[in-house]
Amino acid sequence: MIKVEGLNAYYGDFHVLKDVCLKVGKGQVVVMLGPNGHGKSTLLKSVCGLVDRVTGSILYNDENIAGLKAEKLVNQGITYIAENRELFGEMTVLENLKLGAYSRSARPFEKKNLEKVFSLFPRLKDRRPQLASTLSGGEARMLAIARGLMSNASFLAIDEPSLGLQPNLRDEVANIIRQINSQGMTILVVEQNIPQIIELADTIYVLEEGQISFEGSKEDALSNDHLKEIFLGM
Amino acid sequence: MLIEIIDVLISGLINGSVYALMAVGLTLIYGVSKAFNFAYGSFYSMGGYIAFLLFGTALINHYLLVFCLAIPLLLLFGFFIEKLLVAPLRKRDDWEIKVMMITLGLALFLDNSFQVVFGSRMKSLPPLLEGTFEAGEFILPYQDVAIFILSIGGILLFRWFLNNTRTGMSVRAVAQNPAGAQIVGIPKEFVFAATFAISTVMVGMGGILLAQKYFITPTGGWDILVKAWVITAFGGMGSIKGSLYAAFIVGLLEAFVGWYFGMTWTLIALFAVLLTTLAVRPQGLMGKWG
Repeated sequence: MIKVEGLNAYYGDFHVLKDVCLKVGKGQVVVMLGPNGHGKSTLLKSVCGLVDRVTGSILYNDENIAGLKAEKLVNQGITYIAENRELFGEMTVLENLKLGAYSRSARPFEKKNLEKVFSLFPRLKDRRPQLASTLSGGEARMLAIARGLMSNASFLAIDEPSLGLQPNLRDEVANIIRQINSQGMTILVVEQNIPQIIELADTIYVLEEGQISFEGSKEDALSNDHLKEIFLGM
Repeated sequence: MLIEIIDVLISGLINGSVYALMAVGLTLIYGVSKAFNFAYGSFYSMGGYIAFLLFGTALINHYLLVFCLAIPLLLLFGFFIEKLLVAPLRKRDDWEIKVMMITLGLALFLDNSFQVVFGSRMKSLPPLLEGTFEAGEFILPYQDVAIFILSIGGILLFRWFLNNTRTGMSVRAVAQNPAGAQIVGIPKEFVFAATFAISTVMVGMGGILLAQKYFITPTGGWDILVKAWVITAFGGMGSIKGSLYAAFIVGLLEAFVGWYFGMTWTLIALFAVLLTTLAVRPQGLMGKWG
């Protein structure tokens, strides 16, 4: 579904991603590991049209989307869920969700997706009229994921969903990801603190210094002592 | 004496309402794009001149027609100015300063163009409505009532737009979190241009409304820019509610200081209040700094 080839990304003069290649098949969960500050977020953002300077090719259903902006890509079903959530703090939970369905292709499904999201996150349903800035860390994380789902996406790039979450909520995040994946969602996720998410992975990549240093199945990753020690903490 | 005080109060409220309309526009641009528009005052004069030109044509003799033509003109003008002058700067470093410089240049260009085209003599517009309401000594021109209603109506309409339309929601989204707005697929560039255009309409309408009372001159916009800026800073940069309160405070202050001490004191009083407020509360009345 997504095929990245020779992807380079820059922030100003800073060369962040160097010839990255990666594949995410339809309905798969692909997990991206790697030390902080080595370009994992940049990779997700590049795929989702949120980085200004990218070269190389990103094929989405065989169409090159490298260089297209998020406003176009969201409409085509590619959505980014930010690690720092990026909610609209002075809007209600419901308004945040409605803005999640901003793109033209999501509008006709707003009602249906709202119901779906509320059944996945019953707590958000209770918090509908509350301002997003007053939510707890866990609720805000759920809202960020829920807002992403409102876009009617077929591909989600989820950036460190465990960031700022209490350990007991990590299971919940893993469950949600399992559920939406089982409904057919293709997912590229950066996450190394939730073992259950790694369990879901069809493929694992490791990104170090802007380059892919490992690619393989979770069995390969788990049998790789170097990886196990550094990233999986097992 | 009492009648006099009521007159001053009403005049303060009426000017305050127009100031509110214009200051909300200025704070809107700042709140959404963090840009400061130095040509804002010249857009005020432009509103007045557009109305003056329209009244000069034989076909147009009613304000309703003037508004119907002036609003789309101002909207288009604002949109294209943003696209042509401001938007290209946004990609550069220190673009905020560059936007100030270019809008300052635009202001000088516009003011001088007004001077060339219309001459330096004051121009006036016919009153919105003729006649007065009288009760004993108390006299209230219908024109003033109309100005007040239109200004407040404009603000309410804008509020409705922000809260109830998709574009309005995207404007709020960009103001609150530009990165979040991009993520959900809001076209940020379009929102910047649209808010610039809307603020141009707000200040241009202010020009049309106030020109009936205070005339139009090529450089008359500077006074308005200063006042709108004082109101915006006083109310809190980027806070629409703050601008509303501040506009009425400034309108009333101006009216009472002008009446009691003389018109020359009004600007001094405004700056005294602004400086005191900022010394005590640097973020303004209801501001979110930065």
